Amino acid sequence: MQAASMAGNQAGPRDSAGEVIVEARNLSKIYRDFWGRSKKVALKPLDLEIRRGEIFGLLGPNGSGKTTTMKLLLGLIFPSSGEALVFGREATDVSKNDRIGYLPEETYLYKFLDAEETLDFYGRLFDMPPEERKRRADALIAMVGLGRDKKRQLKEYSKGMTRRIGIAQALINDPELVLLDEPTSGLDPIGTREMKDLIIDLKSRGKTVIMSSHLLADVEDVCDRIAVLHQGELKELGRVEDLLRVTDVTQIRTTGLPEAAHAEIRELIRRHGGENVEIGNPTTTLEDLFLEVVRDTEARPGRRARAGEGPRGG
Amino acid sequence: MVLEEEIPKFADWIGPALVSYLFATGILAVVIAAVAWLVQSVLCGPLAAGDRVYRGVLSGIADLASMSPRRIWALARLAIQESLRRNVVVVLGLFALIVVFAGWFLDPTSVNPGRLYLGFILSATNMLVCLVVLILSVFSLPADIKAKAIQTVTTKPVRTGEIVLGRMLGFATVGTVLLALMGLVGWAFVVRSVRHGHTIEAADIVEIKAEDGAITGSEGRTSLDRGHRHRVEFAADGSGRTDTVQGHRHSITTSGESGSLRYEVGPPEGLLEARKPLRGRLRFLDREGRPSTKGISVGAEWSYRQYIEGGSLAAAIWTFSDISEGQFPEGLPLEMIVRVFRTYKGDIEKGIAGSVRVRNPTTGLQSDPFYFTAKEFTIDSLLLPRTLAATTADGGTRQVDLFRDIVSDGRVEVVLQCLEPAQYFGVAQADFYLRQGDGSFAANYAKSCLGIWFSMLLMTALGVMFSTFLAGPVALLATLSVVLVGQFREFIQRLFESQVSGDSSIVPGGGPIESLYRIVTQASITVDLDPSPAVSAMKTLDTFLLAPMRLGAGVFPSLSSLGTGDFLAGGFDIPADLLLAHGAETFGYLLAFFIVGAFCLRAREVAA
Repeated sequence: MQAASMAGNQAGPRDSAGEVIVEARNLSKIYRDFWGRSKKVALKPLDLEIRRGEIFGLLGPNGSGKTTTMKLLLGLIFPSSGEALVFGREATDVSKNDRIGYLPEETYLYKFLDAEETLDFYGRLFDMPPEERKRRADALIAMVGLGRDKKRQLKEYSKGMTRRIGIAQALINDPELVLLDEPTSGLDPIGTREMKDLIIDLKSRGKTVIMSSHLLADVEDVCDRIAVLHQGELKELGRVEDLLRVTDVTQIRTTGLPEAAHAEIRELIRRHGGENVEIGNPTTTLEDLFLEVVRDTEARPGRRARAGEGPRGG
Repeated sequence: MVLEEEIPKFADWIGPALVSYLFATGILAVVIAAVAWLVQSVLCGPLAAGDRVYRGVLSGIADLASMSPRRIWALARLAIQESLRRNVVVVLGLFALIVVFAGWFLDPTSVNPGRLYLGFILSATNMLVCLVVLILSVFSLPADIKAKAIQTVTTKPVRTGEIVLGRMLGFATVGTVLLALMGLVGWAFVVRSVRHGHTIEAADIVEIKAEDGAITGSEGRTSLDRGHRHRVEFAADGSGRTDTVQGHRHSITTSGESGSLRYEVGPPEGLLEARKPLRGRLRFLDREGRPSTKGISVGAEWSYRQYIEGGSLAAAIWTFSDISEGQFPEGLPLEMIVRVFRTYKGDIEKGIAGSVRVRNPTTGLQSDPFYFTAKEFTIDSLLLPRTLAATTADGGTRQVDLFRDIVSDGRVEVVLQCLEPAQYFGVAQADFYLRQGDGSFAANYAKSCLGIWFSMLLMTALGVMFSTFLAGPVALLATLSVVLVGQFREFIQRLFESQVSGDSSIVPGGGPIESLYRIVTQASITVDLDPSPAVSAMKTLDTFLLAPMRLGAGVFPSLSSLGTGDFLAGGFDIPADLLLAHGAETFGYLLAFFIVGAFCLRAREVAA
């Protein structure tokens, strides 16, 4: 198989009509020791543009520079060279944060607060009036499904619950740009699916999402464009379907085709010069199977799930 | 009480103080900018460094200007919640425990139990409150940075100034509440501890008869309570009062018929007071009666008090100004603290006799002397009445009016002399004063708590400032170092002066290296070391070591100087001018610490 690639530091999506929200120009980060000696090159010079309404994925193994890039865009660390612009302002400009939501890799929240207090606190940081804080907090707690646990201190939360309140705090200001660092980390498959649905929902509401992950399926499912980083260097950048498309293989999917038609189709393909023909039933993903089992169990408590009967297409 | 320096009027003090402050902060700002430029120069070259520092300063100022009260309060509330989570209220229990058991180790028979209790309570309150806010403030921000919770805050539209100020405000609020509660408990403790009564049995009272057999009054003693008893004297009309013991006295009311008299002893008076003194300027006459700027040194290392020789023309003269008849209609209520230096023991139970006269500073007309016996460690009171006896030039006596004949343009002189040859009186300028009236002791106690509050605010601000760029334990040490240098700033200034000038009489013993050398070699600090290249090198090194300490001593605050416990315990009203000056000084430091903290946090990569 041969995948279409867009190697190198080529920036910009295919559809360049959208406003550029995030821009990295020759952005690099070198961690130094006390004496100023180079300790680690965390990010090699990076050029990047992310446009409004995109879901952009930063993909790479651990230590590849995803989180460093995100921290540079957030102004949490300072670039060694180059510049990071968010909404046209320097990333270190605090005023840009009015329009940003951020979910860190681990949900670093104040564990002595409960969910309501947490959202109220972060709402205050956006200078929101009390009524708006209350309204937003109630809506977000309901959205992330923590209604019953909103009075519990975060130290009593499971990792998944902490992640949920983390996403709620990231959205407290209804941000235009949401940065999610490993958003599905620590979530069970249902939580993962809900997170991915949420990301897609954010896009549908015109938000721009930047997410980093080393879970390839998550990125593939939701991202419009991805940047693949490895050892602090940008290796691939482009639209997901472009990067994943196998150009020399044709795939036809249909439902309701009788077994008898297989031989006829195989013959037709061979006649047109097609080789290595495979005809069969596709498999679903383990995630889909799991979700179907859970849904079925919840619909018919106490009975064995029908998912074991095998998934059906359509 | 000791008052080494005159308290200036706030209006006179604030102008020069503001100029000094702006000068010092200006220099500090330039030094910090220069250091920042040097560090950046190493990383990115001098031009880029200049640009970074310039832009950093500009955007930092813009950030400070755009701070939001709501965000600051949100962060302050967070600091308060964090403090509560750390069970800061436990310190209240500790304080209560200290108060409960204080009675075990505080001696109620001390010379002045009021002073003892007040000193103890104020010290305990000061120490606990400052310690709590110090620990809270130095560990909070580093803990947030370590736990990365700061990342969810700094990615919100939060200015670093808001983070710093919010923390300072939050911990200061916690400290304020603790101080208020401890202050109330302490108040109750002191009032309850000093309150006591005595009883008088009729059998303990004997009549005083004149030579002609007429009864002029009666005298006796009270019961022994709280480790002391009083002598009592009754006038012929039955009114009585006790003598002053342990800094207080009691008034006594008598009721009933002769033969079955009942005595009721009132509450202690003079223990919890807030005297408002009007102080004068002190000058001396030597033993020949010639003007002198100083009295005699009796060899005490602390030269606060100067001594006058007894049985000579030596005198201490206070000139009081702004005296008016309306202010003192009954006469001049003089109060005196006179120390005694004996060159021979004499009758140790008996005080040393002295005299006080009032004198017209213009005409020299003076009253006949009022004789008194100086008692150590107590404040002697003397009412200089309206009508005074004065000796005329021909040796006769005439009556003069205090305000008409003695006070001139609102000025009057009070002349103190020691009457016993070879004994000495020791006095300082603050030791003689006219008692203008009394303030409320409760208000004075609150003012004293205000002094602790200032210290607590500075401690909080220092802790938070250091925690913006240092790890918790290091920030703790740095804060304590600053407090320590501030505590000994006068000594360090004199030590540096001694080191630079080479005059070892200012501070004998030399700097840290020389001191260490003297300890090891057991060389006396009063003996100069033999000149040698090694000694020169040691002294030069000491000068270099002392230079930053001297700089710090000139800049760092002295928390002890903000304390006004001496006034309260000594029974003096804390002057408003002093409080205003302390308030302004505290605010100045807070502002500087806040700005430094905000810029340091801004320059820091919180997620590195």
